Amino acid sequence: LPAGLSQWFPALEVLDVSGTGLAELGTELLALPRLHTLLAKNNRLGGPGSLPKGLEQAPLGRSLRVLNLSGNRFPEVPPALLGLRGLQSLSLGGNRLHGIPPDIQELRSLEFLHLGGNFITSIPPELANLPSLSYLVLCDNKIQSIPPQLAQLHSLRSLSLHNNLLTYLPREILNLVHLEELSLRGNPLVVRFVRDLTYNPPSLQELAGRTIKTRNVPYAPSELPENLVRYLSLASNCPNPKCGGVYFDSCVRQIKFVDFCGKYRLPLMHYLCSPECSSPCSSASQSSTSQSESDSEDEASVAARRMQKVLLG
Amino acid sequence: MEQPVQTETWKAESLEELVRILHRIFAEDKVSVEEVQALMESYESNPEEWLQYAKFDQYRYTRNLVDNGNGKFNLMILCWGEGHGSSIHDHTDSHCFMKILQGNLKETLFEWPEKKGNGEMTKKSERVLRENQCAYINDSIGLHRVENISHTETAVSLHLYSPPFDSCNTFDQRTGHKHKVKMTFYSQFGERTPC
Repeated sequence: LPAGLSQWFPALEVLDVSGTGLAELGTELLALPRLHTLLAKNNRLGGPGSLPKGLEQAPLGRSLRVLNLSGNRFPEVPPALLGLRGLQSLSLGGNRLHGIPPDIQELRSLEFLHLGGNFITSIPPELANLPSLSYLVLCDNKIQSIPPQLAQLHSLRSLSLHNNLLTYLPREILNLVHLEELSLRGNPLVVRFVRDLTYNPPSLQELAGRTIKTRNVPYAPSELPENLVRYLSLASNCPNPKCGGVYFDSCVRQIKFVDFCGKYRLPLMHYLCSPECSSPCSSASQSSTSQSESDSEDEASVAARRMQKVLLG
Repeated sequence: MEQPVQTETWKAESLEELVRILHRIFAEDKVSVEEVQALMESYESNPEEWLQYAKFDQYRYTRNLVDNGNGKFNLMILCWGEGHGSSIHDHTDSHCFMKILQGNLKETLFEWPEKKGNGEMTKKSERVLRENQCAYINDSIGLHRVENISHTETAVSLHLYSPPFDSCNTFDQRTGHKHKVKMTFYSQFGERTPC
């Protein structure tokens, strides 16, 4: 791109350099203070130095709202992007990503994230810390499981998971009350009841975390190392309504099928904090003996019916 | 529609002309599928002529009504974002023509599931439709799923349904179970129509 770009066009708001064969976006872009939309898809970006140094601090770093880098050769989410706190829309579809960095949570303003068509194998729970995320595209990847923390994405309206390697979903997915679109086709979702009885006892870190959460032990973020503060924020509630427990990584896994009015049967993974807890969604063969058990069953089936409208089978 | 006495070969030079010729064709008692398909295919997509109808939604594909064919047909433009796709669906005993105006769409054909659908649905075939190509389907041919499989390009398609219908069945690929859904328009005649 011409070196004088920011001097000639200081008021530039939208720049589309898609399909131009660019191998790098240079420093000539940094001084464009009004540029909010940068489209650079179908180029040869991806090598080191594809993005200009000092992006985060530059005027461009503060103005950028929409960035489309789809159809390039990025092997990872460029670290230079993670400091763009004003970025609302990021597309890295059709690149060569093998994972998502936990620091993706730094993109505090992100609403739209398209990572379809890569080689991603897993999703970091930190993705759930994006407060405004409403559209998440992860289709056409190699994802084997969804972390239950993803249910904390309260503003999520559309979740695209088709063509991955999912065999089940976390039960918490039913908690995404604003979800309007969910695509699951092309996943090897289990169709038979599966019970996974392996249970790895929790680590000392997990036990300490559980105690802090369940006993409401007060702590200030300044008192703990940053990684522990983040760890504590990832606690998940045990779905058993009679158990007020939380868990982090160690849990009992059990696949139960949620039957959506006889039309769809989704294998949902129930994470329970210990083998002593029982799942709130009793299977048909068990009879519910207590009022609270059947209440939670109703709650689960209402949520399930809501999800029914959402499914794109 | 049945076989007519003679088939015309039409060439629509613009979207407006396409609509005019369609009105003329559908004013007759008998309409030929081949004639309509050839007509739709003859129109060379010109974005300037349809951009006003091409309203995209970031979450899913949109249906934008262009013309309601005096009750004989519905002509609409569908806008597909990257990765957007439809569920497997039928066409409520109507004829469906689908022409690509921009980008590419993958069409996967499925067999109708058995009465007591309880197994994976059978894929018949799949193909990628290119710009200006026009596909045709009706319930006797089978069911299909249409999707924009590109992660970098959007797609726009022009659909004609005759007779018009506002509900259809969607099918779960893994079980064959069907579910009736109502279809709505994102916009009509270029105006956004939220429901």
